[in-house]
Amino acid sequence: MDLLEIRNLDLSFTSYKQTAHVLKDVSLKIAEGQRVALIGETGSGKSVTSKAVLNTLPGNASVDAGQILWRGENLLDKTEGQREALKGIEMSVVMQDPLSSFNPVFTIGRHLEDVLYWADRRSGRKSTSKDRRERIAQTLLKVQLADPERVMRAYPSQLSGGMRQRVLIALALMNKPALLIADEPGTALDVTTQDEILRLINELVAEEGLSLLMITHNLGVVRMTADYVYVMRKGEIVEHGPLNQIFDNPQTDYARELIGAIPPLYGEGVKDQPASSEPPMLQLENVTKTFTAKHILRPDHVTRAVQDVSLDIRKGEIFGLAGESGSGKTTVARMLMGIMQASSGRITIDGVPLEAMQGGRVDRALAQIVYQNPGTSLNPKRTVAQTLSVPLNFSGLEKRAHSHRMEELLELVGLPRHYQARYPHELSGGQKQRVAIARALAANPRLLVLDEPTSALDVSVQKRVIKLLEDLRGELGLTYLFISHDLSLMRNFCSRIAIMLRGELVEQGTPREVFADPQHPYTRALIAAIPVITDAEEAAKPLVTPEEKQRFLVSSAA
Amino acid sequence: MSASSEEIKVLSARRMAWMRFSANPVAIMGALMVASVILAAIFAPVIAPFPDHAGAVIDFRNKHAAPDATYLLGADKVGRDILSRVIFGFRVSLLLVAGVLIVAVPIGGGLGLLAGYFSGKIEAVITGFTNVMLAIPPLVMALAVGNVLTPSLTNAMIAIALLWWTWHARLVYRVSKSVAAEDFVEAARLAGASHWHILTREILPNCIAVISVKTTLDAAFIILFGATLSFLGLGVQPPTPDLGTMVADGRQFLPERWWGVLAPGLAIFYATLGFNLLGDGLRDMFDVEV
Repeated sequence: MDLLEIRNLDLSFTSYKQTAHVLKDVSLKIAEGQRVALIGETGSGKSVTSKAVLNTLPGNASVDAGQILWRGENLLDKTEGQREALKGIEMSVVMQDPLSSFNPVFTIGRHLEDVLYWADRRSGRKSTSKDRRERIAQTLLKVQLADPERVMRAYPSQLSGGMRQRVLIALALMNKPALLIADEPGTALDVTTQDEILRLINELVAEEGLSLLMITHNLGVVRMTADYVYVMRKGEIVEHGPLNQIFDNPQTDYARELIGAIPPLYGEGVKDQPASSEPPMLQLENVTKTFTAKHILRPDHVTRAVQDVSLDIRKGEIFGLAGESGSGKTTVARMLMGIMQASSGRITIDGVPLEAMQGGRVDRALAQIVYQNPGTSLNPKRTVAQTLSVPLNFSGLEKRAHSHRMEELLELVGLPRHYQARYPHELSGGQKQRVAIARALAANPRLLVLDEPTSALDVSVQKRVIKLLEDLRGELGLTYLFISHDLSLMRNFCSRIAIMLRGELVEQGTPREVFADPQHPYTRALIAAIPVITDAEEAAKPLVTPEEKQRFLVSSAA
Repeated sequence: MSASSEEIKVLSARRMAWMRFSANPVAIMGALMVASVILAAIFAPVIAPFPDHAGAVIDFRNKHAAPDATYLLGADKVGRDILSRVIFGFRVSLLLVAGVLIVAVPIGGGLGLLAGYFSGKIEAVITGFTNVMLAIPPLVMALAVGNVLTPSLTNAMIAIALLWWTWHARLVYRVSKSVAAEDFVEAARLAGASHWHILTREILPNCIAVISVKTTLDAAFIILFGATLSFLGLGVQPPTPDLGTMVADGRQFLPERWWGVLAPGLAIFYATLGFNLLGDGLRDMFDVEV
């Protein structure tokens, strides 16, 4: 008998008299001790499925047909109380966002103790506070948090993202569940931390004999943590099978497309972008940026966001700036656009120092930016046409020529003309990003700063946006500064890359050189942590000793 | 490259907002109550049984007449129909509301917008001044204005508006500051947009929802505040009918002649409740915090 079996589940949401069918005929099985992954893009119904199992669906959801069998018994026939008793005890969940899962005013210890207290109450067990703290400390040790006492006294904001994620896992494991549901764990974390978390989950599943339901959109993560895979699309399971079968021999177009959209890290599929032999267009020499927080009684606190960075970007190249969050890559971009002034060092454009330009800011015909999150970079109250008209108005183009130019821009980014009248909320994420690119192009810039332009998008959409950017570069002769933490994407898209660590540039070169023979131990750790989808790629990754890895992990409480 | 395959089905923003609003029976009730008050005020001469009783009519035969078929809500101390005077009283209340809001909303909103967008000196000066004004008790200010100038509708408006803008300034400041930090504002600046363009075209449209909810809720408070002022004799002067003045007049004859207070009191209650319910409904519809 399977631990969990979902049979032909149909589920719909009703709001304001409109019904949307979110799950259609979903069937899924998890055997005792099995690791199952549920993959699919945004809105495919992965999280809804897990919520249906956990009984945490919102009030406007209704199960129209089907069964959810837990150890052979249909959960949907059980009372609210009986289902509640399973939650957190027989099955637990690890959520995506480790910060918003905690109440900021309570200590970690308090969170864990509350959970344990209520679980004990429900199972009719008497326990003292001391006994509970003992058990918490044991669980924290299990998720490799070395100093449980200190972690229990800390407030959520005092722990790093990776530590919070570990505490969340501890929380889920507290009552020794049979099934662990992991909803995109590590997605909000840096790649090296994510790697650690996934390894931890794997170890725990093996040690404790848990079953795992891994919900993710990252196929690399799937390869690391699952034996059996279900592929979901628009509320339906389109394909399922053992991991190797799905990855090596996908049957449906959708699965093929999903797997094909992953940029390879090593192997034949890797693309080398041609290097540019043009003279440098933009140069940074020993640029440093410090932020000073002024205090009245204590000495001022100085943060070095960028330290002594020198680089040059040649005309026509795609220069990649890689690094984890807080490494200073966005600060570099903001300085070379003149949005932020460098504390020291020189920035020159075509040999002219940035300060000599009007207002110390680069000309808009020189550089434009595409932001990470298309949801916040487009004004929700303005139509596409209104958004595009801003750069056109201020670029001195005649009013009469506006509509023609706008059509031209939309055509460039592959959107139909009638999208001019649309508001951002009427567009998908990929379409919004296309509009943002069109807005940047409207000013005819020579350099386009791409600040993680695809990290908020699904992989298949990412692939199309990257293709668009490649085409545009060829057509318009643009130069890109590409900022990202996604090294497998950068391997294929950039003609030169630089790696940043805590404000410093640790390595730079062509992707081929850097990936074949990374010099700096941090680069090695970073490349080794990228989840890949084939064993061949896994084998080609550089070797990193555990000590080296530990050095670059953002660990310990602040 | 098929952008159309990313197509998603959406309802227009207006349609969604209307669905949220119409699914809320309390909001609909508020809207109907407000509409009835406004209609009553506009068509007062037509609806009121004794339109001339809104002026200086004296009819001692019917003074303090109890509610009956002629005088549905009774008559006041000089024999005027209370129902007619209440209907005309709505006119004064709504005029006061309109007068105050026409002055306070643009001033407060404008200052808040500026303070939120420009950081540094402008922000410090505007927020500092707003905080100082917020420390003045409104009733004291109104009493001062009312005593320095002669009590009248216009002066009551001035007294209320002098302090009312501060709440709008605070609210819009908060929204404007968070909107100004969004990527799209920086993108507009990089595209060469002027401060004027950013303030009026990029930031202001994002503040409209909050402003309209606040304005609706304000209407309720201003009606109450105006009634308080005229109760104290600082508002509209006789014989113009005013709800606050009517309550003050009727108070002397309590409890035997209760109708003198009840009708105008309920009218204040009705109008205030209507604006509050409508404001709450709009707040849910726009999904904003005020």
